[in-house]
Amino acid sequence: MFAKFFSQNLNRLYLAQCLLFLAALGVFFSLTSPYFLSLGNISNVLTASAVIGLIAIGATFVIASGGIDLSSAAVMAFCGTVGAWCLQKGAWSPLLALPFAIGLGGLFGFLTGFLINVTKAPSFIVSLGMLSIARAAAYIVSYGMPIYGLPDPVIAAGQGQIAGIPVPVVLLIAGIVLAWVVLTKTRFGIHALILGDNAFAAEAMGVLTNRVRLKIFTLAGLYSGLAGIIFMLRTNSGDPSAGQNYELIGITAVILGGANLFGGRATIIGTILGILCLGVLQNGLNLLAVSTYYQILFVGLVLLAAAFLSRMGYRR
Amino acid sequence: MSGLLLDNISKSFGSVDVLKSISTAFNAGQVTAIVGDNGAGKSTLLKLMAGIHAPDRGSVALYGKSLIDLSASEHRRCGIEMVYQDFALAKQHDVVTNLFLGRERTHSWFGFLNRRAMREAAQLELDRLGIQIPDLKKPVGLLSGGQQQAVAIARAVLFNPKVLLLDEPTAALAAREVGQVLDLIRQQKQQGRVVILVSHRLNDVFAVADRIVVMKQGSIKNDTPTSDTTLSQVVENIVG
Repeated sequence: MFAKFFSQNLNRLYLAQCLLFLAALGVFFSLTSPYFLSLGNISNVLTASAVIGLIAIGATFVIASGGIDLSSAAVMAFCGTVGAWCLQKGAWSPLLALPFAIGLGGLFGFLTGFLINVTKAPSFIVSLGMLSIARAAAYIVSYGMPIYGLPDPVIAAGQGQIAGIPVPVVLLIAGIVLAWVVLTKTRFGIHALILGDNAFAAEAMGVLTNRVRLKIFTLAGLYSGLAGIIFMLRTNSGDPSAGQNYELIGITAVILGGANLFGGRATIIGTILGILCLGVLQNGLNLLAVSTYYQILFVGLVLLAAAFLSRMGYRR
Repeated sequence: MSGLLLDNISKSFGSVDVLKSISTAFNAGQVTAIVGDNGAGKSTLLKLMAGIHAPDRGSVALYGKSLIDLSASEHRRCGIEMVYQDFALAKQHDVVTNLFLGRERTHSWFGFLNRRAMREAAQLELDRLGIQIPDLKKPVGLLSGGQQQAVAIARAVLFNPKVLLLDEPTAALAAREVGQVLDLIRQQKQQGRVVILVSHRLNDVFAVADRIVVMKQGSIKNDTPTSDTTLSQVVENIVG
């Protein structure tokens, strides 16, 4: 009965795997560190997961459609840097600067989707190019130096709490709810998944695949933009070198959460579980004073395991 | 009554003339089989009728309405549906999602899916066609070849098309599944649709078609009612 339950819905199987992995990590670290289950530490894990979580949510849509976006972290850095420049150098109102910076993320995503549609080149290549452009743009805007000294009210708002929950976590939850609704409840969401499952079938049935792809990459860009703003608020700076390799950690979380790397299957809940697994792993290793080098090694091993499991699912 | 009319259709890919001045009509309530050797132009003709290819010369009309310059989507809206040889199904998705792909039912606001309405309509249509699929939530990739073909045909007829085009509908099926698909094709004929199928399996063609069109090197070599010909004569026309 269990075999039938899981074999007919791979999402359930991967969610169960991910939950088991998260539970195992939780049990291990709670037994090895007395601080792990403290409220402060849990809040730290969630706050630290907010930035990569938002990048991973954007990546979920892209991977669902059979694509890869390598530019997300660079776009994040660009948006954070532009946001800081607008607030600090330009003295813009936060009500103008923050939406403007997030919107630039959407514009970068739109351009990536547009170039994929026009050139028919793989998203891997196009987004690799956009990665360089976004990172270079961040360095050009900031003359290669972090922009410090954001206005106090902005910092206070960004590092504050709403109902006892840190603002970055509130924004992450809002992003999760929105993405879950879009991916599971709307025509656009189902078209994004079908595009990754069988693009020919989507086109043959009249789905405007280029338009769907444009929306997907624009949405992913907006999530990167929001991640950039949260990063800026947490660090009180616009850092053009921020988020190195975040795109790969985001992709790791999506795959760990059960998405098919070749498209057609992805869930927001799975991605969030994947993010939590990586966040808990990193936090637990920090508490155990494991060297950063070994932490990178563990993340790599988790990615390999997730890719292996994804491949197994693809063969089913 | 002639439903789909082709008049002097020609199509080339580069220097290769794939279709040469094809003129014929396909009638409602009749199954027409197009047969021929590889490269005869059968699939190109089918895709041209589905709007996937545009003819270089000539015209295509559906009940008097010209279809020239219309896209594949517009052909679908005019009532021409095609069932592809590889089924064109999203195999990681369930039956209901595949049946309504591209024409999902939504609530009136923000494009939210109306899954209940789609599930109920899907079950009704499958029951009407006599297609047995125990679990509509099962990914279609886990269904048998015959069930997948049945889903592809059900999707094509769900919106009541005037013309049904089938590209090798039995090619990928086990022998026991072929009968089910041929029954579905007969049902479509009884509904008064124009049914056109391309097939290499002549036994299936003789089991279901009212008329057989033999193509050779881009032209129609022979066009005859099934009752007036034999399997060996058709083979002779194909290879001769």
